[in-house]
Amino acid sequence: MEELKRFLIFSFCSEPETLGNLQWLSCYLTTIKHSELYKSVFVVLLLLAITAPVSLMFGFGGAMAARSRIWVINGFGRLYIAIVRGVPDIAFFMFFVIALDQALEWLRHHTLCPDWSDAIWQGNDFVVCPEAKMPLSAASQWVHNSYSFALAILTFSIVFGAFAANVLFGAMRAVPGAQIETADAYGMTRRQTFWRIIVPQMWVYALPGLSNLWMILIKATPLLFLLGIEDIVYWARELGGSKTAKFTSYPHGDLRMWYFLALLVFYLAFTRISEIVLDRLMARLTFGQAITGGDSQRAGKT
Amino acid sequence: MSNTDLVISISDLHKSYGQLDVLKGVTLNAKRGEVVSLIGSSGSGKSTLLRCANLLETPQQGDIVFKGEPVAWKGAGEARRPADTSQVLRIRTNLSMVFQQFNLWSHMTILQNVMEAPHSVLGRPKEDVKMAALAYLEKVGITEKADSYPAHLSGGQQQRAAIARALCMEPEALLFDEPTSALDPELEQEVIQVIKSLAKEGRTMLIVTHDMRLAWDVSDHVVFLNKGLIEEEGAPDDVFGHPKSERLQQFLKSTLAA
Repeated sequence: MEELKRFLIFSFCSEPETLGNLQWLSCYLTTIKHSELYKSVFVVLLLLAITAPVSLMFGFGGAMAARSRIWVINGFGRLYIAIVRGVPDIAFFMFFVIALDQALEWLRHHTLCPDWSDAIWQGNDFVVCPEAKMPLSAASQWVHNSYSFALAILTFSIVFGAFAANVLFGAMRAVPGAQIETADAYGMTRRQTFWRIIVPQMWVYALPGLSNLWMILIKATPLLFLLGIEDIVYWARELGGSKTAKFTSYPHGDLRMWYFLALLVFYLAFTRISEIVLDRLMARLTFGQAITGGDSQRAGKT
Repeated sequence: MSNTDLVISISDLHKSYGQLDVLKGVTLNAKRGEVVSLIGSSGSGKSTLLRCANLLETPQQGDIVFKGEPVAWKGAGEARRPADTSQVLRIRTNLSMVFQQFNLWSHMTILQNVMEAPHSVLGRPKEDVKMAALAYLEKVGITEKADSYPAHLSGGQQQRAAIARALCMEPEALLFDEPTSALDPELEQEVIQVIKSLAKEGRTMLIVTHDMRLAWDVSDHVVFLNKGLIEEEGAPDDVFGHPKSERLQQFLKSTLAA
């Protein structure tokens, strides 16, 4: 049986039916199927690790665009922020991934299969030549996985980038006018003022908003499921459901509550750790800046 | 007097914010090595005049000549702007401003504050700038605070640091915008001492101040502004000792009584 294969070998696991509780559990939790759950934890962490900096970049770009004096760029920045913030995440996820996927295939279709005579839209069906498929149907599983993972990162980054753009845009405007005027008075150009004064000083205003976003991003990772990636929540439900002896060596009743409880603990612990790290980051980034300086002086810590 | 002896020459300057006329035709000159003080009650336009000098504000009418070079304008009235950005930057780097609220960049240490513009704006080599910056910090007496952040300094120390920052630009003139108004009387003195020593060195300075004692002590020329116009001006002994206009007499009576 499939479950007899495992990624961690305990010698006593060969006869699961005869085991005591603790041993049974250690065998049960090390089946290949459970390794999928652990892998999905890794996938979630990887998603976060890539999405956070990428959406910060998108956000920075969006905020810069929204500040631009060139109206095309300015309009683009504001439109990006407005649209993505206004549309529900789930709707955007569903729409954007399909739209992007089809746009890519449409482009590839026109470049790779110029002789194809059939219409792409056949009724409600979207049909492109086999060479234009993304990824190719013959491609191996990991290519399919990586493709959908990359789409997921892009989608998450666009959504969270828009929120980050709004936070950063506000933070840039929150830098005191006197600081900027002083830069003007000392002959700095707009660009110098932006990079040397506004950007270093905006973090103190941006960080509360950004850490909030980070928390929301962590909590949004189960949306991966919508993009066809089997995430932690998917596996918790899958593995927790009751199993009869017919299909597994580890029959059990409905354990979903426990699986979800474990998820709860995982997410809570993760957000708590994030909070601690972000607090430290805040203290470091804002060291010496007027508002924190004032606070620490009031507290008599200087 | 040749043209180049005049560091700043302002003529018939008008500035309004919407309906509010702040400056209604002011003419002012500062020669090399001269200390000119601008006094007057709040709202008289003295700070605005100073801010027009380094183009932080744009006057709707009138001319500003910096070392014989007139500022080029484009547009008229509300839409009037300096025409040449590089000229604006050149003038600003030569007229260093000291603000009422010090305005040290809060994310930089004192030394970084002093080094910032000479290095990033003037492009002077970092090592040279550092040497100069340390020398100016010593001059204003806060060498030991070089690596502190502004928030950890007293107001007087911050203002002295701001003066060091202005000096490190090696400007043609220093512009002081009420440099002691935000300070306790006790801390005021340490800043006043620095300004006095700069005046003795023969630096060109334009000082907007509420401190009549300071204006009397350091100035070569005192200008009394009232409601956007120059009411009276002259040598400090004349302006303070023998005020002619009624308005100035009232003003001096009220400020010296306070």
